[in-house]
Amino acid sequence: MARVAPSAPQIIATKGIGPGFVPFTIVLTIINVAIALAVIYLPLNFLLPQESNPASDSAVGIDALFKFMTVFGSAITIYVSGYTAYFAWVFRRRPDEAINTVGVPIHDAPKLEFWWTLLPTVLLVVLMAFTIVVWKQINFPTSAAALTMEVVAHQFNFEFRYPGLSGSLYSPQGEMHLPAGKPIKILISSGDVIHQFWVPEFRLKAAAVPGLVTELNVTPTHNGRYDIVCSEYCGVNHSIMQAQLVVEPPDKFDAWLSHERVAVAATAGQVQLAGGDAGAGKTTFTAKCSACHNAAGSYDQKIVGPGLNHLTDDPAHPKLVNGDDPSPENIAMLLVKGYQGPIGVMPNRQANGLSDADIANLVAYLISLK
Amino acid sequence: MSVTAHPIDLHEAHDHIHPAPQGFIAKYVFSIDHKVIAMQYFVTGLLFMLVGGSFAELIRLQLWNPKGTFMEYHTYNQMFTMHGTVMVWLVLIPLVTGSLGNLIMPLQIGARDVAFPWLNMLSFWLIPVSGLILFSSFFVGAPSSGWTEYPPISIQQGPGGALWSLSIIVVGISSTLTGLNFIVTIFKMRAPGMTWTRMPLFTWATFSTAILNLFATVALSAALLALFFAQVFDVPFFDAARGGSPLLYEHMFWFYSHPAVYIFILPAFGVISEILPTFARKTIFGYKMIAFSSLAIAVLGFTVWAHHMFPSGIAPWLQIPFMVLTYLIGIPTGIKIFSWMATLWGGRIQFTTPMLYATAFIGTFSFGGITGIYLACVPVDLHEHGSYFVVGHFHYVVAGGAVAAFFAGLYYWFPKATGRLLNERLGKLGFWLFFIGLTGTFLPMHWLGLEGMPRRYASYETFAKAFPDAVFWNRFESVFSFFMVASVGLIAFNIFTAIRSGRKAGNNPWGARTLEWMISSPPPYYNFKKIPIVLDRPYDFTAPLPYLNLDEEPDPYPVPSEAVLERPRVAVPVGA
Repeated sequence: MARVAPSAPQIIATKGIGPGFVPFTIVLTIINVAIALAVIYLPLNFLLPQESNPASDSAVGIDALFKFMTVFGSAITIYVSGYTAYFAWVFRRRPDEAINTVGVPIHDAPKLEFWWTLLPTVLLVVLMAFTIVVWKQINFPTSAAALTMEVVAHQFNFEFRYPGLSGSLYSPQGEMHLPAGKPIKILISSGDVIHQFWVPEFRLKAAAVPGLVTELNVTPTHNGRYDIVCSEYCGVNHSIMQAQLVVEPPDKFDAWLSHERVAVAATAGQVQLAGGDAGAGKTTFTAKCSACHNAAGSYDQKIVGPGLNHLTDDPAHPKLVNGDDPSPENIAMLLVKGYQGPIGVMPNRQANGLSDADIANLVAYLISLK
Repeated sequence: MSVTAHPIDLHEAHDHIHPAPQGFIAKYVFSIDHKVIAMQYFVTGLLFMLVGGSFAELIRLQLWNPKGTFMEYHTYNQMFTMHGTVMVWLVLIPLVTGSLGNLIMPLQIGARDVAFPWLNMLSFWLIPVSGLILFSSFFVGAPSSGWTEYPPISIQQGPGGALWSLSIIVVGISSTLTGLNFIVTIFKMRAPGMTWTRMPLFTWATFSTAILNLFATVALSAALLALFFAQVFDVPFFDAARGGSPLLYEHMFWFYSHPAVYIFILPAFGVISEILPTFARKTIFGYKMIAFSSLAIAVLGFTVWAHHMFPSGIAPWLQIPFMVLTYLIGIPTGIKIFSWMATLWGGRIQFTTPMLYATAFIGTFSFGGITGIYLACVPVDLHEHGSYFVVGHFHYVVAGGAVAAFFAGLYYWFPKATGRLLNERLGKLGFWLFFIGLTGTFLPMHWLGLEGMPRRYASYETFAKAFPDAVFWNRFESVFSFFMVASVGLIAFNIFTAIRSGRKAGNNPWGARTLEWMISSPPPYYNFKKIPIVLDRPYDFTAPLPYLNLDEEPDPYPVPSEAVLERPRVAVPVGA
């Protein structure tokens, strides 16, 4: 056979869409239907933690959205990849094919293009509507919160504050507890850098941003013990910033809360201020307080927190930042509880690692600053 | 054919050709030739890819063990920060825009160079300068707060953070200048007769990218300049206690960095749109829709940045418009994918290495695009944000999309740039290694993230307790990531052997039809002695080439050269 001089192209026309197109489409469709049925009816615990028994009210709506997108998303991926592979195989150049064969030029197909623009648009509009319904449920709960609590994220622990509990609980020792079946409002803030509060089983997260209070509304629906993780990079120990969340029946939760109230009150009262050593207090201050407080400067000479010279006898600032009189006992209580308010955040004794003796020494030192 | 409508006489008045530079420095170092600059970008980008890839493998080694004992947490944090930074700014932007854009776009429009060659040289030389600044941070403590460098954490990290900001500001200046240069080039220097709707699709994509480079990068420069001032001079732009806002940075950063994704992916779309018709031997389907959808994506890309910030403390009502706009991007993207599939349909497809990458791109990019819709859906994003799902998603788009398309473009245009063919057998082996490695590394990340594994974790002991399969899947990913290393190694080896002993390519080895294939390989210094005249779009394989006034008269119906055919073909009667 003679070689064809590479000149005029040979146009190879195609009959129908391609050989075996219908059976191939049936196979792809069966696969897609099978995936859709599996996504809808089988537990997806291998994809989403605790999918078969949702841990929160939000998880129900979010998982439904996830399944909706997975049904259509996997179908689109499988049809697109499947037909791409099919066309690639059916329209492959045969080993003995002439060098100058070309396909029939098709510049456009307005009808086809109309449908493949319209159908994804309709699908996206349906998804939008569905999303907005779930979004509304998550952000705007219909019933008032039975409990409002606060989570303050620090490098590298979570601080939990409950109403009526005069101290905070710090992870990893302290746990967060929530009553099952009650609408909860969690107010999230940060003491230092940006963090995120994420409970994967709840399917919810919110950022802890310095200077902002973010809100998370959730009704836990399943008793259990869950990990709280930080999901925004926050520094060297980001990967070990975790806490435990215990969801329990309301009566057990109430018992836990009143137990904590008693325990914290007892700890606060135990600090013996007598015998505090101002010299040792100065050492502790340099180690643990001087990053934020200026001992030699007056109130306005701030580093992060106010300057502490003349803490007890500053006529411009006769009270402590929490409004109490600057008595040694009140100063001690502020060190025990920590502070969060308009001028900033000070971690409590657990976070600062202050023993009873440290507190006594610090109080002795602070009242000596005149 | 009448050509009197074209201003040939006017053009020839300016038709003098500068002599080629003499001497090593003028020729290869401080060159103003867009082709040499493209090679400089290519070599620099590939070297940085080796560095950035090594960082990635160190990350995978650390995650082999859930306790994360391979290196200190702090070192690990530096590794993922440098990996992201190097790959985004010193690999993808130089390779995709710098190298492919510079090499191909002026040739495709029939120009002798870009509009501002000296500016082009400056743009390139800013890249190594930026790299030097970035890597010098290792001497003072490299940055460690991720490629996003959110304050306040990025302000706590010492001088390394400031060097990071400075380095990326420098890359930003380079990108902005390149964007400006390319826009002017495409507006003013197209060959006579090359109207907007006759422009090759890679040039269209480069034009859309240049718009993003010009307008988005300035926002990045502003954000990073503010960050630099916060880091070095303690200006409290982002300090909430002194009236600043950390969210301000996130808004400014993502106002650039979302379009940045399109800065990588639009040229990738362009590459795919060139390769598919060439190897399917069939005109591109829906030329105008592909060209305009690039523009639509570029414009919409500016309006969706806050979808990176759904759980970051923005108001709930603000989430909805950003979600809707993000969904909208799915429509032009879908149009492109369907048009590419329609291009394959009825073609005579030749599976060369570039075509393998281009075909796989359709699948991997669709998958990455669809997981993007998951992340745009506010409630689902509240779960997935900040998890390995995000890492899986963007690696599918960036590695499975931009890098795969770059490799496709590399195999496609390497013969044009060097005059030598790359080895097809090695190329195909490299493709399969890359594709298998990509799937094995990034696919399991999706379910790891959904199960609750946050990104940027130096250790995952707690997570491995909650989800015991985590150890298996992380090791699985680590093993498969080395397939990609092997694939990049093969590409490097292929390039070296091709330059030494590759087969001669000839002007047009693939039988392609855009203008760059009408001149010799490698192209002469001046590209076109006579400026060609363009009569039509390039892609109709049944019509003769739509060019007049070419320096060499090509075959009117280009076919693949003997050198690239798997075996010599003989003619057989059609339909036999």
